[in-house]
This record gives sequence, C-alpha cells and structure tokens, in this order.
Amino acid sequence: MAIITDQPESPDSPEGAGPGTELEVAEPDAHGDDSPRTGVFARPTHATGWREWLFTVDHKKIGIMYGALALFWFLIGGLEIGLVRLQLWAPDGEVISADFYNQLFTMHGVTMVFLVIMPLANAFANYLVPLQIGARDVAFPRMNALGLWIFFFGGIFLNLSWFLGGGADGGWFAYAPNTGMSFSPGHGMDFYALGLQIAGIASLLGAINLLVTIINMRCPGMSLLRMPVFTWMILVVQFLLVFALPVITVALILLTFDRTFDANFFNVDAGADPLLWQHLFWIFGHPEVYILILPAFGVVSETLPVFSRKPLFGYPIVVLSGAAIGFMGWGVWAHHMFTSGMGPVSVAAFSATTMFIAVPTGVKILNWIATMWAGKVRFTVPMMFSVSLVAMFTIGGLSGVMHAIAPADTQQTDTYFIVAHFHYVLVGGALMGMFAGMYYWWPKAFGYHLNDRLGRWHFWLMLLGFNVTFGPMHIVGLQGMARRHSVYGEFDGFEFWNKIATIGYFLMLIAMVILAVNIFRTWGRYRRGLEPGAGADPWDGRTLEWAIPSPVPEHNFDYVPVVSDVDDFWHKKYQPDETGKLRRVAYGNDIAQIGDQHPHLPSPSYWPIVLAAGMPLIGFGLIYNLWIAGIGLLLLVGSMFGWTLEPATDPDAGHGHDGHGDHDDDHGGDPDGHDDHNGVLTASTANGEAAGD
Amino acid sequence: MGTRFARSWRWVVPALLGLLLAGCATGRLDATKPIGEDAREIDGLMRLSGWMAVGVGIFVAAAVATIIVKFRAKPTDDPDDLPPQIHGNRKAELTWTLIPTAMLVFLTIYTLPTVFALASEGDGRTIKVEGQQWWWQFSYDLDEDGQYDIVTANDLVIPTGEEVNLEIHSNDVIHSFWIPQLNGKKDAVPGRIHDWRISSDEPGIFYGECVEFCGLSHANMQMRTIVLTPEDFDRWVQEQLAGKTAAQVAPADESPEAAGAALFETHCISCHVVDGAYESAAGGNANLLAGIAPNLTNLMSRTAFAGALYETYQTGPDGEYLRNPDGSLKLNIAELREWVRNAPDMKPARADNQQGMLDFSEVLTDQDLDNLMAYLKTLGSPPVLP
Repeated sequence: MAIITDQPESPDSPEGAGPGTELEVAEPDAHGDDSPRTGVFARPTHATGWREWLFTVDHKKIGIMYGALALFWFLIGGLEIGLVRLQLWAPDGEVISADFYNQLFTMHGVTMVFLVIMPLANAFANYLVPLQIGARDVAFPRMNALGLWIFFFGGIFLNLSWFLGGGADGGWFAYAPNTGMSFSPGHGMDFYALGLQIAGIASLLGAINLLVTIINMRCPGMSLLRMPVFTWMILVVQFLLVFALPVITVALILLTFDRTFDANFFNVDAGADPLLWQHLFWIFGHPEVYILILPAFGVVSETLPVFSRKPLFGYPIVVLSGAAIGFMGWGVWAHHMFTSGMGPVSVAAFSATTMFIAVPTGVKILNWIATMWAGKVRFTVPMMFSVSLVAMFTIGGLSGVMHAIAPADTQQTDTYFIVAHFHYVLVGGALMGMFAGMYYWWPKAFGYHLNDRLGRWHFWLMLLGFNVTFGPMHIVGLQGMARRHSVYGEFDGFEFWNKIATIGYFLMLIAMVILAVNIFRTWGRYRRGLEPGAGADPWDGRTLEWAIPSPVPEHNFDYVPVVSDVDDFWHKKYQPDETGKLRRVAYGNDIAQIGDQHPHLPSPSYWPIVLAAGMPLIGFGLIYNLWIAGIGLLLLVGSMFGWTLEPATDPDAGHGHDGHGDHDDDHGGDPDGHDDHNGVLTASTANGEAAGD
Repeated sequence: MGTRFARSWRWVVPALLGLLLAGCATGRLDATKPIGEDAREIDGLMRLSGWMAVGVGIFVAAAVATIIVKFRAKPTDDPDDLPPQIHGNRKAELTWTLIPTAMLVFLTIYTLPTVFALASEGDGRTIKVEGQQWWWQFSYDLDEDGQYDIVTANDLVIPTGEEVNLEIHSNDVIHSFWIPQLNGKKDAVPGRIHDWRISSDEPGIFYGECVEFCGLSHANMQMRTIVLTPEDFDRWVQEQLAGKTAAQVAPADESPEAAGAALFETHCISCHVVDGAYESAAGGNANLLAGIAPNLTNLMSRTAFAGALYETYQTGPDGEYLRNPDGSLKLNIAELREWVRNAPDMKPARADNQQGMLDFSEVLTDQDLDNLMAYLKTLGSPPVLP
C-alpha cells in the first residue's frame, strides 16, 4: 500500500528528518545550488530511450524485459533440442557427437526450466501482481530491477560456457559423482553450478519482493480470499521459491567446492554418499515442478471465467487446492529416486504421497471444466490455449500417477515415457498457460491485440506439433527407449516414432516462427497506426488490471481502488435487476480509470544493473582466477554502498506532492528502515530545482 | 478428377496402415513384453494404472469436447445476456474430491505390497554386477569361498527357473542396470551395494542397457542377459573354468598367436586381465591399472564386446547369428580388429582421462593387429547360446 498512498502526509516530516542528513549527503549541499549532483552519485530522475529500460525500476518494464529475455532463451533452448531431434532421426545417428549431444540435452533442460518457464512466469507476476492487487509498484522496486539484471547476467554467464570449452554435460539434474572434476573435466559443470547459483539469487530476490508486495500492498477491501487466483498462485509459488532455493543453493555450493577447491562432499572414496546430491537436488527439484506449473494454473483460472462469462467454479477450492499442491509438493521429492536404492519403506511412503498429490490437481481440472460448463464460451486465442492446457495437462497428470506406482516407475523412469510425461506437463501445461497469458494480457501491456489469425495458426500448429512430438514418446518409452542416449540401435524398433517426433518438432518450430512474425508484424503495424487500440477492457475482464488504461500508465492507478468482492471490477459492470438476474450496467472502457494523474514514483537507478554485473565476474573468478572474483566482489560491494547512499529524487516535491514518506524502494538498501534518507530527498530536490533554474 | 482422387486414396490407406504397423514393431528392449516373473508383476500394475488413466483421460476429453461443441458462444447471443452464474457447488466438489481419492487409495493398496515383494531376496545364486564407464562386469562365486571364479563382461549368463540375486555395485559414477523384459531398473551407486533379482523360465537372450546418465558414452553401455537351461548353464560354467587354465598355456614360439601374446603383454595388460596368464600385472607395477578394463579370459565365449555395442559374431539382417558351413559361428573379426586399432573411433571415449580404451592406430601395425587377433581367438571357446 505504501506506494499508492497519495494522502497528504505531514509535509514537514522530511524536514524533520533533515538534520539527520550527514556525510556524503551533506557534501552536495556544501556545493550549494550550483551542483546538479546529489548524494555520492547522481541519480537519474527521468531516463529516456534505452536508458529508460536499463535503469528502470518500474515493475511493468521489468516484467516485459523478463518476458523478452525468456523468449530469447526459448529460441536458444529450442534450437538446441532441434539438433538432438535431428540426431535421433535415424538409428546410429551421426549428426552430432556424443559429447555435444550430452551438452545439448543438458543445456536444453537447464535453459527451458531456469531461463524460460521461470522468467516467463516472473514476467507475468511482475507485470500483473501489482495491477491485480491495486498497487502502484512492487514493494521494493530497485530490488526488482536487481533481480532482473542478475537473471540477465546469470543466463549469459551460463551460456558463455558454449564458447569457453563446451556447455555443461552432466544433465540438468547433475548427479554426483558424474559431475565431479574427475568425470567431467571441462568447465561446463562449473558454469552450470555458478550460473544457476546466480540465477537463483535473482529468483530469491523476486520471491521475497513479491511476497512482501502481495501480503502488504493489497488495496483496501482485498482480503486474501478476494485476491485473483493468478495472484494467489504467484503467492504460493513465491513461498515455494523462498524455501526451495536455499536447498539448491547449498547443493550447488557443495558441487562448486568439490570442483573448485577439491572438497569431498561427493567423493565416494572419502566416504561420501552420492545420494546426498539426489536428495538435495530433488527437495528443490520437485517443488520446482510446481513453481513451473502453478503460474500457468493461475493464468487459466483468470482466462477460463472471462471467456466462459461465468465466475470461477468453486473459487475457494481452486485456491485451496493450489495451496495444497504447494504444501504436498514438499513430501514427494524421492519419487525421482525410486530406483536409487532407498529401500522399500521409503519407496512405499513416497509412492503413496505422490499418488495423493493428484487429488488437488484433479480437483482443479474438474473445477475448470465446471467453470466452462454451461457457459457461453468465446474461443479466442487465449481461450484456445487455456482449454488446451486443461486437456494436455490432464494427460501429463495421468501419466504422472502411473509413475507414482513405484514398481511401474522402475520400468518407466529414465525412458522416453518420462520425457513424454513431463513435456505434457511443462509444454502442454506450463507453456500453453504462458501463451494463453501472452495473448490475454498483450493488449493490457502494449495497447493492441496480437493478430488473431496468426494467433490461431500459432495455436493449431503448436497443439499439433506438440502432440506429434511428445505423443509418440509415450510409445517408444514403453518400448524401452532410454533417455539421454545419443544413439539407438537399428534392432530397437525406435526409428519410426522418432521420425514422427522430429517432424513434430519442426511443426512446433514453425508455430514459434509464426509467433515471432505475429509479435514483430503487429508491433510494426501498431506503430504505423494500422492496428486499432485495444481499450482498457477488451475481454470484458473481471480483475483490477482491466480497470485501468491499456497500455498501463507508469503509475498504474489514478486513485487507489477499493474492492468489496472477488472479481470486483466485473461486479461494477453487471448488477442484478429487480428480478435478481444480472444485467450489464456499464462497459469496462467507460468506467475504467483514465490515467491522467502524475503521482510521485520511484526514480530510476543505475545500481541494480551495476551490482548485478559483479556476479558473473565472481563466477569467472571461481573458475579461472580468483583475482577476477576480487574485481567482481569490489564491484558488488561498491554497488551496495552506492545503492545505500543513493539519493531518492523527487521532482515534484516542491509542488506539494509528497508521498515519499514511504519510499519502500529504499528500504532495500536501508534495512533498518531509518528515515534519514528523507534528508537526502530534501537535499536532492533542492538541488534538482536549483539546477533547473 | 474423382477417379484420380480415389486412386490416390487407394495408396494412402495401406500406406498409413503400413506406417502404423512399422510403428508397432517392437524391438528387444520392449518393457511391455515381460518374460521374467517380476517384470510380469510390474506389467500388471502398469496395465491397471494405464487403463485407469485412459479412462479418466477419456472422461476429461469428453467433457472438454462437449464444452467446445455445446457451450460455444453463438454470434446470435445477446452480448449483454449472461449464462447462469454458478459460483460453485459443495456437493459436486466434494464428489470429485472423493472419487479420485478413492481411486488412488485403491491403487495405493494394490501397489504397496508389490513394492515390498519386489524388494525381497530370491531363492537362487548371487552374482556380483559392477557398472563402470562404460561396460558391465559380472562375477560368479561358484563355491562361495569369497573368491570370484568366473569374471566376465557384457553377457550375464543365468539358468532358467532360478531367482538370481544381483549385488549391484559401481566403480565410478552412478549407472542403472536394466533388462526390461526381466525386471525394472536398479541403480548402481558407488559406495553402495544394491540387491536386485532377475529370473526367467524361458531360455533366451534379453537385452538391456545402462539407464542412468553416466557420462560421455552412456548410450553405448549395454549388456545382455543370456538365459540357458540348467544343463546348458552347467556346460557354460565348465567351459569358463576350462578357459581360465587354457589361457595359461603359452602359445608356441614363432606362431602368430605367440607374437600376439607378446604384443598383448606389451600394450594391453596394464588394463586388461587374462586369468592365469596376465592376472598379476597390477601387483608388480604400481603404475599398471589392470582391472579397469574388461577381463578378457574367455573373450570368445561372449556374444558382444565394447560394452555390448558390437557383436563378437556376425549377425544377419534380423539380428540372427550367421554360421560357417561347418555350423560354427562367424567371428566378427573386422570390427574386433578395428576396435583394437582405434577404439575411440567406434565408441566415444575420453581415454586421456582414463575413460575408455586408448587409440592404438599409431602404435600397432597391420601385422601387429593380425597377430593380436590370432592371440585373442585363443581366449575361450564359442558362446553357449540358448
């Protein structure tokens, strides 16, 4: 709530804190009115052009950049697996070497999980959560930018391994001891361990930020059980991230220490048990599955009611089952290890828990079906993607129950049956949901619709290509085709379905080309004025993001909305008549806010991107030479100081707009919450104005 | 036009059928064609859960199809008129929570006893299985004196009608032992010993492979289980034991075999053991690593070499063994010779990191290779096939 409050806070309070202004902050004051500098370094007040994006702390721009980066990595991850599919076209394939093959499937998995689906969900969460809860930004805008830039550098760092001796070759699950120095002597696994470590910091920052935002910054009236389901699912996911990431962090530190400093955490000769890594990895890894899928569940829980023109069937149950999945997700990790020799008692226990996680998942599916049932379903592009999620995810969920039967899993694990299963979950589920979200919220973010005809082509080719690729994998998997095998034999009988799957890959590739064409072509047409604007509420939406203009103005809301119901915006459009039947009383475009206010917003900042740039240097240092890490560390610590001492600027302070009493933004670098930065504010404004004179 | 269309269709249908048949043709790793007792047990569970999944899947698909067909908004609909606004229904939601729960309780009750049954010990002999990059070794202790009497690679030979216990070890990274038609998988984890069992009432060759990613040549780490009748199995044991002593007999001077043996002593024994002849190499020289590569005693009795990637004897188009006019098997001498000459070329390896066999193409001349082949041919008698 902090940022959106525009109420006249005592204008004296900054001055009251003024005497606290000290040291560096005082220095520009000494220079008097001549100096435009404030604090240690100048802080941009209003960036334009590329700077507008590089130094932004606006959750919407950050969300869009997460999305753009994710789509870029999606292209890379997709092309990587294209080579794999070509290699598997025929028995004894000779398209690529075994070594390259191992790197490709490892990096494909790592890329798709950590650099595509997670940031895609992050894109939607960043963009939409503040809008759905009626806030002007996230709780810590600079920290939000820091998360983005750490993710940016982490992704690049991870992939630089391709040019520095080859990508990681130990599988995305990186089972010890195969990933130790003796068995994986190249630097690929170092880049893996450190790259994921860096990306993990980004996710952790984002998770803390969104948790604080959702818990503290909901608009008046929005109790937890009035929150949109998308925001709910994002809340659950952030809890999962906060608890799961520390586990992978520990595991990756152990791996890095083994590889860099000859530690013995996974050295069997020194008494280690390699199952330690497996437990650590999957205690993170299984909640990670729900981290990947729950945002998509959230998206379709928004789209299905809107396009069926019915409320979500059993809202509390859908929310509760989402939370239940989040809880139960912690008790099933060892189903990845049924063949690892844990002993029958552990196997039986994890087999049972895994089966019952299907219950809340199944409840969700059935509630979605009930939502559409007897509705007037509009099959727009986002709706088609959403419905395909319901159908395709179900297939992946059902094969998941088959693996939960531990004895059956001993036949299925590490075969293409599993590959089919989790691609039905992650492509048929998570990715379809993300595409639904893209088409659904595109007009909100950019002010125009993506082209409908191209969208339909994208959808149908995607759905077809997806099933043609991964459907046959069920069959070859049961026929015994093992995962991660760079070749198969001519007597194995796998050739036919592998050819089909490779054809399916190319269908999906075409679908993605169409998506790219759609994005760039429609954007170009919009810039030339050929595309009509979408209006605030193009889909007859139900949640608060549709109550503000498209594209969303920088400050989101002119005034703080007050809600009194689930789907409050929708209830402002439809109200019961004298017979009790709901009738339309208003159109969203007419009652939406107009976006003409200019409240004070947090200023852009140089520090997030500078601080983040220190991370890959530390990574390189740990791999090649610790001196480089020293430089990275200096940059990191220096940036922290710069961040802490950075002045908050407020161009409007002199004009009576004074809302910076709660600059949560700055609490990121000022954890004691002490208000002496208000002194900085005063100084900065004074100077800013003087410079203007 | 119509006829041309019809004519083209005449081709399409058989073509599609042919494709489908081609797709159904299964290979030798098919997990849905169980032979072993445990594999059949697992298969029963797989089919039960599979059909339940198909049933639920059809139910959901039918519901979605109904929505697509029946509840589609029509252009004639009044855009301001809403369908009935149903916010939920406790009874319905309770029902579709309880029904899946009941189904899963049923599956759990059905599954858990099997988990424990599969973990119990078999009634037969125990064989030591060792995974290493990228081949499998099998050791038999016939008289249970703690000494392994038969050490072989690639071919795990067992008798019919006996629940054979496997003690699964790994010497380097994690591998996973899997003969799909006999039982599920069991990981080979360094530092741990995992018990597993296999059995078959039918003689036959059952193929398998490593299924836990184990590095560069993971795809090429195969093995086979050769199930023999008890009589054939006893014959195989006797031949294995005889091969051990036969190897001690030094080949005659001047013969290609003798020259080959000399080359073997120079180039091979730092990694390979031949029981009786070159088994103590590691003892005399600390730099020698004998034992990190397959024990070559009775090499000729194995159906495959190089991690079961290549057949020791020539096979026809359907994988059947070809025979000489006298009924003996045709040695696959060309690939064996090439393997000895330049192994990394035939199976990805990282020999400079002690992972896989070295490249000898710069070391051995053609004459050397001929002599080595002559020596290798003396190691053991032909395999006993089911």
